[in-house]
Amino acid sequence: MMTSPNHLPSTVEKRSRPQLELSTLITKSGINWLSVVFVRISCEQLHLAVHNTSAQRRRQLAVAVGKEKREALIRAKRLCREAFFEDNEVSLERDMDTDEEKTVLDAQTSQTVDDLKSALTYHFLLAFINLIGLVCFNQNISGKGATQKKVETLRELRRLLSKSEVPPVKAALQAGVIPLLVQCLAFGSPDEQLLEAAWCLTNIAAGDPEETKSLMPALPLLVAHIGEKSLVAIAEQCAWALGNVAGEGEELRNILLAQGALLPLARLMMSNKGSTARTAAWALSNLLKGPHPKAASELIKIKGVIDAIVQHLRKEDDELVTEVAWVVVYLSALSEVAVGLLLKNDVAQLLVGKLAASESLQLLIPVLRSLGNLVAADGYMTDKVLIVGYNITEQLLSGLIKCLKNEHRVLKKEAAWVLSNIAAGSIKHKELIYSSEAMPLLIHLLLNATFDIRKEVAYTLGNLCVAPSKDLEQPSIIVHHLVSLIEHGCLPGFVHLVRSVDIQSARLGLQFLELVMRGMPNGEGLKLVEEDGIDAMERFQFHENEEIRNMANGLIDKYFGEDYGLDE
Amino acid sequence: MEIQSNGEEGSSIGFRGWIACRRRFKPDDSFFAAGNIERELLAKQVALDLTEDERYQLQKMEIAEAQLVFCPIAGCAARLNFLEDFEDHYHTRHTASCSVCSRVFPTSRLLNIHVSEAHDSFFQAKVSRGFPMYECLVDGCGVKLKSYKSRQQHLVDKHKFPTSFEFYKKARPSKHQRHRYQRRHASHSKEASKDTDMEIDTTKSKRASQKYRPRKLTNTKQRETEMEVEESVNDLIAAVSKLSTSDSSPSSISFGHRHARGFAFVPRSIRQANRKQVSQPEAKE
Repeated sequence: MMTSPNHLPSTVEKRSRPQLELSTLITKSGINWLSVVFVRISCEQLHLAVHNTSAQRRRQLAVAVGKEKREALIRAKRLCREAFFEDNEVSLERDMDTDEEKTVLDAQTSQTVDDLKSALTYHFLLAFINLIGLVCFNQNISGKGATQKKVETLRELRRLLSKSEVPPVKAALQAGVIPLLVQCLAFGSPDEQLLEAAWCLTNIAAGDPEETKSLMPALPLLVAHIGEKSLVAIAEQCAWALGNVAGEGEELRNILLAQGALLPLARLMMSNKGSTARTAAWALSNLLKGPHPKAASELIKIKGVIDAIVQHLRKEDDELVTEVAWVVVYLSALSEVAVGLLLKNDVAQLLVGKLAASESLQLLIPVLRSLGNLVAADGYMTDKVLIVGYNITEQLLSGLIKCLKNEHRVLKKEAAWVLSNIAAGSIKHKELIYSSEAMPLLIHLLLNATFDIRKEVAYTLGNLCVAPSKDLEQPSIIVHHLVSLIEHGCLPGFVHLVRSVDIQSARLGLQFLELVMRGMPNGEGLKLVEEDGIDAMERFQFHENEEIRNMANGLIDKYFGEDYGLDE
Repeated sequence: MEIQSNGEEGSSIGFRGWIACRRRFKPDDSFFAAGNIERELLAKQVALDLTEDERYQLQKMEIAEAQLVFCPIAGCAARLNFLEDFEDHYHTRHTASCSVCSRVFPTSRLLNIHVSEAHDSFFQAKVSRGFPMYECLVDGCGVKLKSYKSRQQHLVDKHKFPTSFEFYKKARPSKHQRHRYQRRHASHSKEASKDTDMEIDTTKSKRASQKYRPRKLTNTKQRETEMEVEESVNDLIAAVSKLSTSDSSPSSISFGHRHARGFAFVPRSIRQANRKQVSQPEAKE
């Protein structure tokens, strides 16, 4: 069997908070000796980098950078870059240090320097963390001063862990940062301490799978701090950390669900504060992914969730709407109950509105996919919601046409998919699509687009040519649609599909050829298919797949058998 | 997962015809992979400052990795990139074509078997003397049988081939041939030569240049005689044209397949003449 199974690398989504300041450490009065060490380290690294600028080294650098970037992307962790609580310090720092940071980091990505860096960082962090331990838990140091010190040192740690794309997480873990942070999350701790600790954990969780898994001891505390009594900023930061953990994989998701993470996150999503709701929605979307549908079924039952979704989808805040739309994507894909509830609450209308109005690719993708899932899930959508003649139907169609015209492949492909499902509806739906602006676009795509788009378009066009089938009857052909498609040159597009490696597509192509031969008036179908189609069909004589072989041979025998052309 | 019913009733050839139905995908289906990647790329766009090219490369890498497939022609199993390489691969590996009758085979072994069985009189001689000459088509089997039919039976029994499978496929008379028959009945040779000229234009414009002529009923006996005459005429034409064209092309090059790239164009009339010469004995089989 040819088509590949689902062994894609899971596109995990994690986000960590970075910060780009080196020189602040130097200027900070509190921990001078540490900053001196740090500065020395940076100089040494630069020094090394400068020495090694042979052409080969540069090439290695380029490869390493590319590879690192690629890996960073595939992990798709989200670094928390900006404070969502207004912190003047933070914004200043970001401006000052971008260039310097970039140079140093560019230099740092070469192999040798990396090793050096991690060794030095490790020792540095070890010292640092021991210091925090001393400061935090020394019985002799108490009172307000001590608390302040504790928070400051945690903040420094957080800044270290927020450095650019590759924070020194491994070194920190080796130095034993997790138990420390767990202690910092204790109930009753000062707010700032909780915040900084949660932030550190967020960025640690944004690393490799092993790094994320290291957060296990902290999970129950993180879940607890999303409670309604927590400061919103803290709850949000904890939600972010949990989102990273959930994005890692099914195992961790199950653990979080077992620990009761769903309810507090759902409640957090009901917040009126944009960034809070957004973060919570993002974390929820990671938690819902499954593939087991239980999270989705549970979420939809929580009181207030649907209302919150509806409220948020009305808003103009694109980022928020995007994340909530992703929640809808998973709900609609995994839970039938959710589909029903969403449709009853007019979510379809809201989504259609966004599809038509928005130009943001980020937003269009989940909105389109949600609609696709809703249409695919149940006949209800096409039968009861998308009634031909209603405004929502017109709007959806024009939204889909907009996506077909969009330059992005994803939008074209998924829009064609949605259209194909609508085209599988009633005759009225087929006629609606057939007489719309979509037709020339679809035909053009069939003949010119990449394979994945062509396949979806083929489904659409073919669906337009057959009437809805009753039970097991062979459906009747809508001849004037078929004739028109042929006149507009679609046949080569389908023949091309017959030649494809993909079994499904080959089958699709053959099925269409059969429609042509059976349905075109005056036996024209045979002539048309004879041109190129026979070649393509004969190819299957030696195909591995028996079904395809039989289909192709059957067609050839029936329509081009011994008697072809020789008698009346 | 696809929701698709089997509507086979009413189809005389057992063909699973096109049925319009909704298709639903699970959230982790590879169908959604490109969109998922796009989501992550967009989230990181600003942060990592990717160039257009890098993004494109990454997407291609992700998608290509997930969709390596193997060539579906029996016995080949070459690794291919799902989206693009099949056509090229097919043309390089699976278009072994017989220089006598232009039939195409997916391997040179099958081509050789075909050539022996269909165009080699020595082969026929040995068969008539009772030697088992018909090889099993499955590579590695090694069995040889005495007749085409018994080989066919062996394929069905031993190797589960479908009973409809025919190695010795009767070549369909082409459109050109059909029209030649009709013209012979309807008119005189003048028209026939005109048609021959008309045939030399390539492929796709062919349909436009020919007119549809109504077929006429003739009685079969007359037709047969006429076909025999035509056969000998064609034999002559074929023999003559073989002499004139510098043609000893290796059998692995295919002739005149429209979608083939860079292959020699052979005037259709010559090709048809060759084809017809062989198709007659096959039809009588």
